[in-house]
Amino acid sequence: MAEQKGFTLWFTGLSGSGKTTLAKAVEQALRKRGLKVERLDGDIVRRSLTRDLGFSKEDRDKNIERVTFVAKLLTRNGVATLCSFISPYREVRARSRAEIGNFVEVYCECPLETCIERDVKGLYKKAINGEIENFTGISDPYEPPENPEIVVHTGSETVEESTAIILRRLAELGYIEPELTGAVVYSAEEETEVEERLRALGYI
Amino acid sequence: MSFFNRLRGKRKRRVVVIGLDGTPYTFVQRALELGRMPNFARMLGEGTFKRMNSVHPCVSSVAWSCYMTGKNPAKHGIYGFIDRKPGTYDTTIPTSRTMRSETLWEILSRAGKRVIVMNVPVTYPPRQVNGILISGFLSPKVEKAVYPPTEVGTLKRLGYIIDADPWAARESKDKALAEVNAALDSRVRALLHYMDNEEWDFLQCHVMETDRLYHFLWEQMDTDDPVYAPRFWEVIARIDQMLGEVYDRLDEHTTLIVMSDHGFCTLKYEVYVNYWLAQKGWLTLPENPPQRLKLADVGPHSLAYSLDPGRVFINLRGREPAGRVAPGAEYEVLRDEIAAAALEDMRDPETGAPMIAHVFRREELYHGPLLDQAADLILVSVDGYDLKGAMGKETLTFKGDELVGMHTYDDAMLWVQGQAIAAEGFCVTDVMPTVLRLMDVPIPDDVDGRVLI
Ligand SMILES: Nc1ncnc2c1ncn2[C@@H]1O[C@H](COP(=O)(O)OP(=O)(O)O)[C@@H](O)[C@H]1O
Ligand SMILES: [Mg+2]
Repeated sequence: MAEQKGFTLWFTGLSGSGKTTLAKAVEQALRKRGLKVERLDGDIVRRSLTRDLGFSKEDRDKNIERVTFVAKLLTRNGVATLCSFISPYREVRARSRAEIGNFVEVYCECPLETCIERDVKGLYKKAINGEIENFTGISDPYEPPENPEIVVHTGSETVEESTAIILRRLAELGYIEPELTGAVVYSAEEETEVEERLRALGYI
Repeated sequence: MSFFNRLRGKRKRRVVVIGLDGTPYTFVQRALELGRMPNFARMLGEGTFKRMNSVHPCVSSVAWSCYMTGKNPAKHGIYGFIDRKPGTYDTTIPTSRTMRSETLWEILSRAGKRVIVMNVPVTYPPRQVNGILISGFLSPKVEKAVYPPTEVGTLKRLGYIIDADPWAARESKDKALAEVNAALDSRVRALLHYMDNEEWDFLQCHVMETDRLYHFLWEQMDTDDPVYAPRFWEVIARIDQMLGEVYDRLDEHTTLIVMSDHGFCTLKYEVYVNYWLAQKGWLTLPENPPQRLKLADVGPHSLAYSLDPGRVFINLRGREPAGRVAPGAEYEVLRDEIAAAALEDMRDPETGAPMIAHVFRREELYHGPLLDQAADLILVSVDGYDLKGAMGKETLTFKGDELVGMHTYDDAMLWVQGQAIAAEGFCVTDVMPTVLRLMDVPIPDDVDGRVLI
């Protein structure tokens, strides 16, 4: 196989929409294929690289700016870089896209009600009670992407389905090899049958 | 927002595409002149009807892949009905999983449009869309051919048939007609069901039955066979009736497109390219060949071999597992030699006329990241000579009475309702961006086709 081509998968969506879950699942699948992978996750980065920042618009922008810098370095060195950040502002994502280059935006689309119901980290409850300010979806806007490379509907798909959609699109975009799927597509019997049809039509 | 813009924003633009596989522009012109397509005749003047080119090689799997992606094969990876597994002599059937590009209906889905797509080649196994996708003729059975799987029940209830059985069709012309008519009836039933009962912004119905009809009965129509020509025309009348039924259901926000992927003509001879390569000493086959030769049986001393239709591969060192020809000068010299010989030597055994019209080097036809998977040479025949990839044939040419029609490159057709088309010499790849434009959806940058309206 040719040398690995770096790219950044940028997961965006509401808190609880599945960014971390899907980034982890994709990370696993890519590692299985022998690729170099790094994952940058909002919750982790905010405890290290950007622990000095809060959630005002200015601080959010700075947070993404630093992450973008790191993602750019990784991407240009051939690493599959998985970033999961709410990244609610269109303009900020556009800047990351321009900066990083091989940028694949994954919109984790999920109804707000579903995210609130999930409330993975108990944050929605606090935000609704007014204990957290500037909480995306409650007291701060989320601007959905207009033309993302990938959309997953995490409110209605399973984690496996969403992961498969992401991997397939990465193959279509030429960043990874498509899966070898012969056996999955046709059973041996079906393959013979389909070949016979082609033979009857003179194509084999 | 201005009043006009508000109006525009509200107007939902919808498109219906009816694909009539293999239906030639010139044939439809003739049918219209003969008064055999009264429904199409009444719609015709409301749009633009033009001749269209197919792609090379002009088989349905390649042509419809170019249509649905708007890209050339070096970007989607579908070069024929069968292909080599990279780095082996094993063959494989390309499917939607090998297709390396987003499709028209996936782009529309992403833009929030609801799509219904029925029976288009190379859509098996069904990939997810926002709506319903029913895969085409290489699907093993209805149960596996549908996204979402919950539609299987509806299709079963409608008596849906994926394709005419080609082995039955080979038995007799009567059986061929029965197979084609049954499949066509089920297709029309399903089409009208979905048109009437589902929400959709884009609806595509692919009629494979025309291609099957032409393969098995084109010559009978062409020579005005007293028994079978009238029955051929009965099928055309049913197609025309279907067009009328679709047309009468449209509202003013919907654009109808009727198109084909290649043309058809009477088959004079099947031509076995591998036989010819063996005669020239470029292909060696085993001394005691098994009953059914496969690509894997090609002898290690071979320099070249062919897959359907007219795709010639050099047995290249570093690419093929037992490659013999060195890349670089040796490869180029051999390509030139085979190309020149094909044009010069492959002649009609009766008349001595050339059977090959053109030989392309792959880089002349294709451009993109998957160029490496293309055949090294693509032979294009004179109409009437059907280039075949079969191995182990013992003559150069053959004419049977089962398959009597063959594909042509420059005689596909396109009718677009309510639009003027100024371009000439366009091809099937150009339809996809045209549909996106009609529906006001942005065209991805890597699309090769151009907007025709
Ligand atoms: N298709 C799906 N994709 C991702 N997560 C899903 C999906 N369906 C259900 N979930 C669940 O939704 C939750 C998403 O949480 P998490 O990944 O932490 O969200 P985020 O990182 O966006 O805040 C998890 O509990 C996960 O199991
Ligand atoms: Mg998270």
